[in-house]
Amino acid sequence: MSTPRSDNLAVLATRAPALATAIAAVVIPPTHQLATTAGGARTLTIGGVPLQHLVDPVGEAVRWARATVERLEAVAATRVVIVGLGLGYHVEALAERFTGAIVVVEPDLAVLAAACEARDLTQLLGRIVIVGGDAAPADTPAGERVLVVAHAPALVIAGGAYRRVLQAWQSQAARSGLRLKVLVVTPLYGGSWPIAGYAARALTELGHETHLLDLAPFHDAFLGLDRFGARRSNRRVLESGFCDVMSAGVAATVDAVEPDLVLALAQAPLGPTALDAIGKRGVLRALWFVEDFRVMTSWRDLAKHYDYVFTIQTEACHEAMAQVTDARLAYLPCGFDPRVHRPLALDRAEQAELGSAVSFVGAGYRNRRLSFRRFVDLDFKLWGSDWGAAEGFGRVLQRNGTRIDTDDSVKIFNASKVNLNLHSSTYHEGVDPRGDFVNPRTFELAGSGAFQVVDRRELLPPIFTADRELAVATSIPEMRALTEHYLAHDDERLAVAARARTRALAEHTYTRRMEDMLATVIGAAQERLLSRRRTVTVGDVARAGDGELERFLARFDATTPFTLDRLAASLTKREGALSEPEAIFLFLHQFDELYLREHRA
Amino acid sequence: MSRGAVPEAPEFTSGADAHRSTAAKPPRARGRIRKILIVNLTRFGDLLQTSPAIAALKRQHPDAAITLMAEKNFADVCDGIPGIDHVYRVELDRLGNRILEGGSQLLEAYRTVEHVIAELRAEHFDLALNFSSSRMSAVFMGLLGIDDVRGWSMTPDGLRVIRHPWARLFATMCLHRRYATFNLVDYYCAMTGGLADTRRLAYTVAPAATAKAATVLSELGIGDDQRFVALQLGASRAIRQWPEGSFAALGTTLVAAGFRIVIIGGGSDRPLGDRVAAEIGAAAVNTCGKTGVGELGAVLMRAAALVTGDTGPMHMAVAVGTPVVGLFFGPASPFDTGPYAADHVVVQTGAPCAPCDHNVTCLDPFCRDQLAPEAIAAAVVARVGNDWNAIEALARNVAPARIYRTGFDREGRFVSTPLGSPIRRREDALRDGYRASFLHVLEGVPLPAPMPAALDLTPFATVAQLARDGLAHAAQLAKLAQAKQPRIADLERLGRELDGLDRALKEHGGMHPDTSPLTQMFTFGKENLEGDDVATLAVETARLYRDLARCADDMVVLLGGAQRKEEENDARLHQ
Repeated sequence: MSTPRSDNLAVLATRAPALATAIAAVVIPPTHQLATTAGGARTLTIGGVPLQHLVDPVGEAVRWARATVERLEAVAATRVVIVGLGLGYHVEALAERFTGAIVVVEPDLAVLAAACEARDLTQLLGRIVIVGGDAAPADTPAGERVLVVAHAPALVIAGGAYRRVLQAWQSQAARSGLRLKVLVVTPLYGGSWPIAGYAARALTELGHETHLLDLAPFHDAFLGLDRFGARRSNRRVLESGFCDVMSAGVAATVDAVEPDLVLALAQAPLGPTALDAIGKRGVLRALWFVEDFRVMTSWRDLAKHYDYVFTIQTEACHEAMAQVTDARLAYLPCGFDPRVHRPLALDRAEQAELGSAVSFVGAGYRNRRLSFRRFVDLDFKLWGSDWGAAEGFGRVLQRNGTRIDTDDSVKIFNASKVNLNLHSSTYHEGVDPRGDFVNPRTFELAGSGAFQVVDRRELLPPIFTADRELAVATSIPEMRALTEHYLAHDDERLAVAARARTRALAEHTYTRRMEDMLATVIGAAQERLLSRRRTVTVGDVARAGDGELERFLARFDATTPFTLDRLAASLTKREGALSEPEAIFLFLHQFDELYLREHRA
Repeated sequence: MSRGAVPEAPEFTSGADAHRSTAAKPPRARGRIRKILIVNLTRFGDLLQTSPAIAALKRQHPDAAITLMAEKNFADVCDGIPGIDHVYRVELDRLGNRILEGGSQLLEAYRTVEHVIAELRAEHFDLALNFSSSRMSAVFMGLLGIDDVRGWSMTPDGLRVIRHPWARLFATMCLHRRYATFNLVDYYCAMTGGLADTRRLAYTVAPAATAKAATVLSELGIGDDQRFVALQLGASRAIRQWPEGSFAALGTTLVAAGFRIVIIGGGSDRPLGDRVAAEIGAAAVNTCGKTGVGELGAVLMRAAALVTGDTGPMHMAVAVGTPVVGLFFGPASPFDTGPYAADHVVVQTGAPCAPCDHNVTCLDPFCRDQLAPEAIAAAVVARVGNDWNAIEALARNVAPARIYRTGFDREGRFVSTPLGSPIRRREDALRDGYRASFLHVLEGVPLPAPMPAALDLTPFATVAQLARDGLAHAAQLAKLAQAKQPRIADLERLGRELDGLDRALKEHGGMHPDTSPLTQMFTFGKENLEGDDVATLAVETARLYRDLARCADDMVVLLGGAQRKEEENDARLHQ
């Protein structure tokens, strides 16, 4: 005799046999209580939390479905992921109103078992895709727009499992399909400046329309404030005024570019007033704070004006920041750019100048000045600035202590057998025993295929494996000992460096970092971003065919924004007679210039 | 060949087309002209200003059908312009909205343009005149692929060309408005290949419009026999708008002189009209928003005069024969857009920065304040009474503003003659000099008697010398290119030297702005040389240099500077 359970499992067995088998083996625990309303509808509560209306679950489901359909239409979604099945009332109501694909994620197999037992879901199970248990989120099929929603009662269930599943699916959805316009804002100078460039390039590689606002040209002007010879109090006023001008400039760029997201690097001159104005325009604001939060404390005033703050430190940092901001906080370590930090073959002259057994490239912070004295007896070359004239580095300091650019740094990494990597400290004498974040140099060395001895850092272990991918020292004597060891064991040293590079390429590129960053941003703001005007791409409008227009559009990458500026720009590089599509788009571009530019402004 | 004389361009058997000559000869006939397209995507005033050119075309090609392509919002005026056989309306607003929307709507915009192009190509026009001077219209004309295009157009490989010397002169003078001397209407007519013989604009008011206008006026208490002066308050841009307080003061004075006041304008001018009417009093009525273009013409026909800035209604008043007192300030110039008929009055500001560029944003338009309401009222009363002596006397008292009387020269081209014998400024002299010189070179009109001016004419002499050098080089290049086996090295050398001369001319025009119209006209001419045949190009280049030398020499002769010294002829800036 058939029962709802057997019929449901039979249908499920044809579509997800492994899941059907797993459900069949589940014993529904006492926490999961099935009941029946006065009207005969089945209900389920878990630990006292009802998963549907206890009197009219169908009516409630219809109301939910109508509201959800509006959300789906607002973002032109072709696919919906619902976290939480309950007894399926809301999914049935939605299936009657939404023709796109429906995926239901139910992490609790007992809920699936209870639903199969309580109600006839055969028609529903034939219509939807069920993902059960702890299955990983699936990729969004190409060309589809997906919205991830939650069955709200499930989010109330203790333990937060549904919430975690929701975030995981939102993050996964964020990794595919949604194309953003991002404005990356650099600082005026400093270590985070190149990171902004790497981040921008990575975002472009991921297919997002990226604009890099490089503020380094204003650094000289900032230094030029010295000319006023101002007293300290006046100097602060001048610097504040300068930063206000920079902020206003960034806000003006936001106004012109209309990005979905502004990503500012630490120390970017972007103040609260401008950030608030940007936020009011509906633009998401993210700060990548790639500095030590204990040393650089600008976050205290700024973090509350951002929607997201990404940090290279974790718990203590997030606890401190949570005191001053409601922004979403997330850990995002630095990385490397494989196009910049890569293995290089040097010629003899370069090897002669740049090569050595041991090297360090960087600024002479106090702990480094004290520690590296222990290496001067080796074939040791020291590169970089601020090493001090009387420190005893005369013999090893290269190029008179001038700052070394990125290109030369990478050559030095490649030319050195052992690269020392001691994280900076202004008050320790050697290794910071509580040092947590991992500096960019760690990733850049690994990406370059260069061997490094690095000081112990709390957050290093999940990033690289000690002794396997790099040598980790807890003290300066140990750093020396490891250096000597690996100088004497070439094969071992080269193997460690190779493994580090493999790991770095797999997990630590800036492309990967930007994927993670966007997963957090988009995951939390997916609906908001989907409902903003999307940049239509050539891929969106191009159709297969042999017509002149189709042939013209086929020349562009599918991700190229379908805008007159882009299309007209492509004409400046061409020769010969204009085709009709080229001429028509040129006409439209000129029309825009003549009649509409003022209107847009 | 005597020193200083401009050598004739040598005759070559290169087979150069006659229509490439810089003289304004009609294009070589490629069969009968049966279908003509005029593109004018500007406002209704400009469309009215097309009427004499249409008449000229009809005279030259009586059997040809004339299609006028106009913007939909302004195209209704074409229904009353004689000679238009078909109006092709384009909805630029809708196209603009699609472009602004972007995305798939941008694709729709593409399809719209594709459709328009296809429709117009299917007409197989023999001749097209582009009266819209813009890159956009140039691309459009290039897309149409009509053989004989005059005005802005585009070559197949996307280069802007300006076809017809008068179109190039118009483009030149748009960049040198202080010296602009020809009326827009005359440029249009010249591009057709003939002069207008109408000496005014043409618009026929339909009986239905007359009746409706009568009703509108009657409902506002303006009887059939009541004398009224019409006031056009609004303008396309704020900088062209006379202050409403000034209009109110003017209206009050005219009421005291026995006139009623009828305020005209579009619906958006209604609030402004209400305010001014309220200030003037019961004698003023506001018709803003109550009339279409036909009814506007009918209302203006009944007016004793229209007081207006440089606006569409001004041209309508001219077309229906109503006297105009034009208020010209900001970018408005009585020379290039003055009311195209005889015996209209234009009061122009004397501000040294006028006329300003069309795209300028002025933070202090004090030029408007130089046109005092009392003086304007006096001009209106005198004009209505046909009292030119009074206007002449008024002109002597309104300095620094100037009063002009419109008219036509012997050949029928528009002129604005200053009244009251104002002091002749250097720009007046240059303007007159350029007028005579270009008419001489382009149309063969004999030079008038010299009009000496206190100007340094050395820069013009330098241009003439550079042009003569260019002519000699180009002639040599043409001869070499025609040889059976031309030496490439020599051709390249001459080409480089000609490039050097061109650069020198351009720099000279930049450093000596008085000569810039000549060098710019030359540059536009060079940009229009098409084709790959070196000999043909050299011949055309030689003609351009010849015309340039003639114009420059004319300026020296006309403006009567000291005779050029022999040694100045050696000022070869390119060496």
